[in-house]
Amino acid sequence: MSAVISARGLTKRYGKQVAVDNISFEIPAGRIVGLIGPNGSGKTTTLKAALGLIPFEGELKVLGMDPRTHRDQLMEQVCFIADVAVLPRWIRVSEAIDFVAGVHPKFNRKKAERYLANTKLKPSMKVKEMSKGMIVQLHLALVMAIDAKLLVLDEPTLGLDILYRKQFYQNLLEDYFDENKTIIITTHQVEEIEHIFSDLMFIREGRITLSASMEEVAERFFEVMVTAENIAAAKALNPIDERQVFGKSVMLFDGVPRAQVAALGEMRNVGVADLFVAKMKGTYA
Amino acid sequence: MNTMKWLVKREFWEHKGGFFWTPAVVGTIMTVFLAVTMLIAVTVGKHNGIHINGAMITNLSTAMGAEDRSQFVTALTQGYMGSGAPLFMVLGFVVFFFCLGSLFDERKDRSVLFWKSLPVSDGETVLSKVAMALVVAPLITLAFATIVSVLSLLLVTTTATVMGFNAFGAVLGSASVYLAPFELLAMLPVYLVWALPTVGWLMMVSAWAKTKPFLWAVGAPLLVAALLSWFNAMFQFNWNIGWFWQHIVARGLLSVAPGSWFGFVDPQGGFNLGPRESANMVMLVSQSWRALATADAWIGAALGAAMLYAAARLRRWKDEG
Repeated sequence: MSAVISARGLTKRYGKQVAVDNISFEIPAGRIVGLIGPNGSGKTTTLKAALGLIPFEGELKVLGMDPRTHRDQLMEQVCFIADVAVLPRWIRVSEAIDFVAGVHPKFNRKKAERYLANTKLKPSMKVKEMSKGMIVQLHLALVMAIDAKLLVLDEPTLGLDILYRKQFYQNLLEDYFDENKTIIITTHQVEEIEHIFSDLMFIREGRITLSASMEEVAERFFEVMVTAENIAAAKALNPIDERQVFGKSVMLFDGVPRAQVAALGEMRNVGVADLFVAKMKGTYA
Repeated sequence: MNTMKWLVKREFWEHKGGFFWTPAVVGTIMTVFLAVTMLIAVTVGKHNGIHINGAMITNLSTAMGAEDRSQFVTALTQGYMGSGAPLFMVLGFVVFFFCLGSLFDERKDRSVLFWKSLPVSDGETVLSKVAMALVVAPLITLAFATIVSVLSLLLVTTTATVMGFNAFGAVLGSASVYLAPFELLAMLPVYLVWALPTVGWLMMVSAWAKTKPFLWAVGAPLLVAALLSWFNAMFQFNWNIGWFWQHIVARGLLSVAPGSWFGFVDPQGGFNLGPRESANMVMLVSQSWRALATADAWIGAALGAAMLYAAARLRRWKDEG
C-alpha cells in the first residue's frame, strides 16, 4: 500500500511570504494524524494544497494523484470539513442529503439518515435555523456516509461546546474509522483528542518540526520531576524544556536513554500539549 | 448528466424566490388587477353605459360592426401573449442579479468550501448556473406567462360576451391562440445565444470580485464609456462613441433583457408595419431569429463563452483564505 499523501519539496508562497517551506512527508493508510501548529504556521495551507484548492510548488501526491490536475477524480475518494459552518445557510437537511446522494457515487443515504436519526435534526430544517453544533452534526452525517479513503478535518470543532466535541470524535472513531481510511485533523484542542491520534506532525513557520507515531513520541519524550540535588546532573543531559511545579523542576527530555534519567527523579509520559508548547517556544516572541 | 440535473435542482432550491415565486406573485397580481378592471367595466357598463367614440353604449352587439368584431378577435388572439410581457421584464432583472451573485455569494458565506468538497468540477458548476439562468428560468417564466395570458384572454372574452358580443367561438376557433405559446418558446434559443455576453460578464465578475460585484460589473464599464466620451469630446477624436455605448456597454449589461435583440436587427426596432398592420407572433419570431444572423449575436456569444471559461478558472484557483 503506497502512501495516502506524499509530499516532496512542497512549497507555497504568498507574494514574498513563505507559508509552506519546502516540506516533505508521507502519510500511510489507516492512520489518524494530528497536524498541530500555531496560528499561521502553514497547516491549513498544506491541507489546501493537498485538497487541490490552491496552486503550489514541489511535488505532492494524494492517493497517487496530483491534486492540481486531478482534483475532480480525487474528490470521489477524499472528504473534507474545511471549517465549522460552511454549509450553505439556505439548504434544508433533506435537500443536502438529496444533493450529495445525487452527485457523490460513494454516498450511502441510509447511513446518513441513520446517523441523523440520533440527532435533533429534522429533514425540513434549514441550516440557518440550526445552532453551530447542529450544523456540524449535519456536516459530519454527510461526510461519514461517504466511503472515502481520506478525510481531512481542519478545525472541525472550533467554537463547539464540549458535549458536541466529544460526540463528534466519538462518532468518528466508532462509526467511521477503519484500517482502510486515513484521517488528518488540525485542531487547537489537542488535550481532548490526543488519545485518538496514531501519528503526530508538528508544523512551525512552514516547516515540519516533528513527525512521529504516538508510540515513537512516548518512547522519545518524557518528563522527569527532578529532585533538587540532581538538577545540575539533569541539566547536563540537555532537557528541551524546564518548568517549575510546586517548587520542583520538571524537565522534558528528547531521546535521552531512560536508564540514564531514571535516577534523577520521578519519570512520566509527556502530554502532546506540553510537548507542543515546548517545541513551539518562542513562536510569537 | 445526472450530476447536472442535481446541480440545476440545487440552483432552483436556492433561488426559488426569484425564479418561481416572483413570477407567480407578479402574475397573480396582474390577473387579479385585470379581473377587477373587467368587473368594474361590466358593472359600470351595464348600469351607466360606456362611452365609445362619443356614443353612449350599453350593448356591444349593436355598436360593433362585423369588421370591428373581426379586428377585435384578431387583436385578441394575436396579441394576448403580450399580457405576459411584464413577467419577461421581471425575468431580465432576476437573471441579472442571479448571475451577479452566482459565484460571489458562495465565496462570501464560504459555502464554496462545501461545494468544492464534492466530486463536481468547476466547469459543471458554472454550466449548471448558466443552464438555470438561460433555460430553466425562461421556461418557468414562459409557463407563468402562458397561464396569465390565457386567463387574460378568457377574462376579456367573457367581458365582451357579458357586454353583448359573444366572442368565444371566434377566439377559441382561432389557431393562433393555440400556437402563441409555442411561438414564444421558439424565441428561447435566440435568448440563450443573445444573453450569453451579459451572463458571461456578470459571472466572471462574480467569480473575481472580492467585494461589491455590482459596482465592478456595472460601474466599471460605465466609467470607461464615460471617460471615453469625455476624451472624445475634449480632444475631438471623432470616435464613434455611440457604437461603444451600444455594442459594448448596453450589449454587455442589458442582453439578459428578453427581446433586447430587437434593437440590433434591421430595421432597428424590428418592424416595418403598414398602417393597418399590427405586429403578430410570427413576425416576432422570424425577426428574433434574424438577430441570430448578425455578427453581433455570435461575437457576443463567443465572448460570453470565453468569459464563462474564465469564471470557471477563477473558481478553480481563487484562494478564499
